[in-house]
Amino acid sequence: MSQKVTRRQFLNYSLMGVGSFMAAGMILPMGRMALDPLFQEDAEGDMVTTSVTIDEITEEPMQVDFTFEQEDAWYTSEVTDFAWVFRDGDEIIAFSPVCKHLGCTVTWAADDNNPERFFCPCHNGLYEKNGNNVPGTPPTGPLDQFEVGESDGYLTIGQVVPNQLV
Amino acid sequence: MLYKYDDIKVLKDQLEFVDTAIIPFVSADMDSGALSYANDIELLQLVTIQLEKQFKGRVFITPAMTTVQSDTTVLEQYEAQLYDYGFKKVVIITHLDLGEPHTAIRLNHIPLQDMTNDIKFDLVNEEVKKVMKTIISIWNS
Repeated sequence: MSQKVTRRQFLNYSLMGVGSFMAAGMILPMGRMALDPLFQEDAEGDMVTTSVTIDEITEEPMQVDFTFEQEDAWYTSEVTDFAWVFRDGDEIIAFSPVCKHLGCTVTWAADDNNPERFFCPCHNGLYEKNGNNVPGTPPTGPLDQFEVGESDGYLTIGQVVPNQLV
Repeated sequence: MLYKYDDIKVLKDQLEFVDTAIIPFVSADMDSGALSYANDIELLQLVTIQLEKQFKGRVFITPAMTTVQSDTTVLEQYEAQLYDYGFKKVVIITHLDLGEPHTAIRLNHIPLQDMTNDIKFDLVNEEVKKVMKTIISIWNS
């Protein structure tokens, strides 16, 4: 049994076919644009991978550089920063080197009289190894920490968070 | 601290801590030495940026002061102004030979343009370390 397609039906079908192609051609790119922000990943939650492997990290704080892009208004620049990283048991600790007093850069064991402390050369501020500020020196709070993680054996560094150890 | 709105607004209250002013002093003569001056200015900029990062809470870095024919009259006026403002130490970082009354740190002439970035980075860091050591010794004296 062959069913006859009338001229009217044929025209209807072809119009609908062509019409839906045209509609799809317009709507799909629009939908893609609207949904696009959902697909843009924030590079693993803004973690920056460093060139230091987890195995290299010892109990002695070491300086680990990392580079990220910073946007100042319309100008994007590459900024290199660093963290003091060491191992505490199983945990990896990364301290921000910014002094809580007035923002100078602190150094591990730079003062001969305090070989096991972080030292700020600006106003002789001192911090214990766990980041706690030594009473009687200018800093008013403990050193900030960086979020740390691991990616293929390499250390990754994230946002600055308040000290979790003291 | 730098010579910018937000920093200067709080500077007066923090003079107790921010007691050192640093003047980058450069020559901009348009003569046969211009190429080398341009290079010196670039090095001085790199050094002061690093220095500000390290000693943010104790130094105030003024905009680079430019001179021609090694004239230091304006520099001397500026030094006097900074002492009047309340700074205890005024240090000049420069490539020029300024002579006695100034507390100046002289940088080396480093031909940055011929180097790869890594070497450049190392050499600038060397220079920064040298300047930092001198400033710390000025503080301790």
